[in-house]
Amino acid sequence: MVHKDLSVTFLGVKFPNPFCLSSSPVGNCYDMCKKAYEVGWGGVVFKTIGPKSYFIDEVSPRFDKLNKESTPFVGFKNMEQIAEHSLEENLRDLRKLKKEFPNQVLIASIMGNDEKTWEDLARMVEEAGADMIEMNLSCPQMTSHAMGSDVGTNAELCKKYCQAVKRGSKLPMMAKMTPNITDMVPVAKACLEGGADGIAAINTIKSICNIDLDKKVGLPIVDGKSAISGYSGKAVKPVALRFIQQMRQAEGLENLEISGIGGIETWEDAAEFILVGATTLQVTTAIMQYGYRVVEDMKNGLEHYMVEQGVDSLHELVGKANKNIIPAENLNRDYIVRPNIDLDKCIKCGRCYISCYDGGHQAIEWNAEKREPSCNTDKCVGCLLCGHVCPVGAITPGKITIKPGRKCKVEDIKL
Amino acid sequence: MDSNYKKDFEPGFSPLNVCEEAARCLLCHDAPCSKACPAGTNPDKFIRSVRFRNFKGAAETIRENNALGSICARVCPTEKYCQKGCSRSGIDKPIDIGRIQRYVTDFEEANKMKILEAGKKNGKSVALVGSGPAALQAAVSFNKLGYEVHVYEKEKVLGGMLRLIPEYRLPNRVVDVEIKRIEDLGVKFHTGVEVGKKVSVEDLKKKHDAVVLAPGYSYGKMLPAFENNKYVISAVDFLREVKAKGGAVKVPANVLVVGGGDVAMDVVTTLKLLGVEHVTDVVYEQFKEFKASKKELEGAQKMGVTIVDGYVPSKVEGNVVTFAHREIKAEIKVEADLVVLAVGQYPEVKGLGIELVKGEVNEGKPYYTKDPKVFVCGDIAHSAYDKTVVGGVRTGKEVALYVHAALGGK
Repeated sequence: MVHKDLSVTFLGVKFPNPFCLSSSPVGNCYDMCKKAYEVGWGGVVFKTIGPKSYFIDEVSPRFDKLNKESTPFVGFKNMEQIAEHSLEENLRDLRKLKKEFPNQVLIASIMGNDEKTWEDLARMVEEAGADMIEMNLSCPQMTSHAMGSDVGTNAELCKKYCQAVKRGSKLPMMAKMTPNITDMVPVAKACLEGGADGIAAINTIKSICNIDLDKKVGLPIVDGKSAISGYSGKAVKPVALRFIQQMRQAEGLENLEISGIGGIETWEDAAEFILVGATTLQVTTAIMQYGYRVVEDMKNGLEHYMVEQGVDSLHELVGKANKNIIPAENLNRDYIVRPNIDLDKCIKCGRCYISCYDGGHQAIEWNAEKREPSCNTDKCVGCLLCGHVCPVGAITPGKITIKPGRKCKVEDIKL
Repeated sequence: MDSNYKKDFEPGFSPLNVCEEAARCLLCHDAPCSKACPAGTNPDKFIRSVRFRNFKGAAETIRENNALGSICARVCPTEKYCQKGCSRSGIDKPIDIGRIQRYVTDFEEANKMKILEAGKKNGKSVALVGSGPAALQAAVSFNKLGYEVHVYEKEKVLGGMLRLIPEYRLPNRVVDVEIKRIEDLGVKFHTGVEVGKKVSVEDLKKKHDAVVLAPGYSYGKMLPAFENNKYVISAVDFLREVKAKGGAVKVPANVLVVGGGDVAMDVVTTLKLLGVEHVTDVVYEQFKEFKASKKELEGAQKMGVTIVDGYVPSKVEGNVVTFAHREIKAEIKVEADLVVLAVGQYPEVKGLGIELVKGEVNEGKPYYTKDPKVFVCGDIAHSAYDKTVVGGVRTGKEVALYVHAALGGK
């Protein structure tokens, strides 16, 4: 049995483990959060609480999903806005949760529509017992343009609202970023200037998941129409990792504390977010598909990873990949690594040949009689597409060749 | 009588299953499956269509290449052909090509797709004698080339040997739909016309530009020791009767089957599904040289059929049959209420004006006979393919091209 301490300290708050529900349909009431805590989630970001004046009126149905082959939920589209329960009910639930689960972290997600409501909400959730505040500056499906991702792309407005929240509460606070922006850094910096202690990233990506080909309308269909809304799940993980890396790479943000969000489904996903700089992790889509129990394997898998890495604290891993992800112009372009084809493993399907011809440089040659691929090193540019399409892992990086006239030494190259 | 005889032996794929199975396919270059299909059904192309969710395109590929696509999907011994060289075997097990094909052809039927189109009339006509798989495919191929096609069948029902394959593997309904498709193309079917008796080949030659004989191996062989024995029936007669009656036949509780080919396996499985308690199958071949597929052998054994390998009948006295082992000194004696002989089939070509050598017409040039206006296809044509449905389809496609060339077509 593996016994590793998964606890982390984030914005000064101690989490028993880094895994949290993200502010979404999965943390919508007391009963849900109670169950999540009991299953072992380290923290809960309670579904975003809005101002009393803002009436939540949801559509039905409200989800869609992207499938690939027989894999459902490659990506998930959601039209739900913020918590639909009354402000009183939400505050009551926060109070109850904190009382019953004092050792697990309770984060209140809030969203105002002007400085006053932001400030008031911050005060109220602190009074209700929240350990931390997350500012939702990024929900892409709000019915008001004074709220959600329209705010999150406006750095000045974000700063102003952060200041308002800080006036209302002294709790540690993170601002949740929208990915519907070219560069997240100016907004993150503005939030920090406004008083934010950390950043949560990413919220969902504006999307149209599928179109009904007969009815000629996006899905889900609401009385014959549909709307653009947020996309999440495994498919957005690469986008999330990229934004987090870019923030941690920006001058002055090298030690930015981040709560990572976006397609986390396995302990490996979780570890990747940690390695690009996340300290805590938030999950929704995997829970919507499989339930709170997904945390069991995330936690256990991450503990095993800690053993393998020889670390006693997850903090030792936070951001460990940041320095190894560099601008493309700084990469070593002096060598070519050509494929090594293991014919004992090869099952003679010819996929490498097809992909190299149609998507590469016509370097894989095919012996039709023996059904065997080989690499023509005169043509091979070392892209290794062949290795990616091989279904049995028979093609791996092989011999390194230094480009003519380059001074680089083969033995110095790290593959 | 409500038996399991009419129930599907193997369920078809669900929409999820078929996508999963197609996703398992490695989409090989120069795919071994397609190279191995005698009918040229092109499995690699239709599986790729399924993988990319083009079910209608998949149906077109199957139907254009194989007029009996729905039938082959159910009865083809795929482990000997398309699935044999499947690259996926290098990882786990071959793709279940037959079931993907079945899903697609069921989809075709459910969507009432009309894929085949008659060719532009070329003013010539051809007569086909017999309506088994080879003749049905030939009818479609000739039709596409523009011929007026007339099919002459001696039985009242069309389909030849297809009407023998047990209902649980190949429902009559599927055969009927397949034939209806061909009829809709304009092919004329004449049933109850035995060529060589009522109508002569010469008559057909006068009416048509070419005559193609496809009588098939439709008669069950008898062994001399079993002749004129009231307890004995041939496998062919047995299977035909059971299928014609939809399984509503009376069978005794103790049946002996002699033979170990695919037909014998159909017989023993049918008997079991009809509820026969004791089915004993004595087989000439030893298991290591078995003719029927391993899957069918194992299936029969699992159903409780007693299979004894390596024995030949040495003495028959009424309903008591004695067998001797081919190699060792051993004897067994079986008393049964019914003896089904599944020791092979033969064609009947009396009155057709052709001569068979080892059951085939082999005049050097494929599908030709000594008469320049008369051709053969199906089981009696000399070819490299097994005498299976898919082999028949192949000969049906090819004979049309040979005849077309002989009649000056391009």
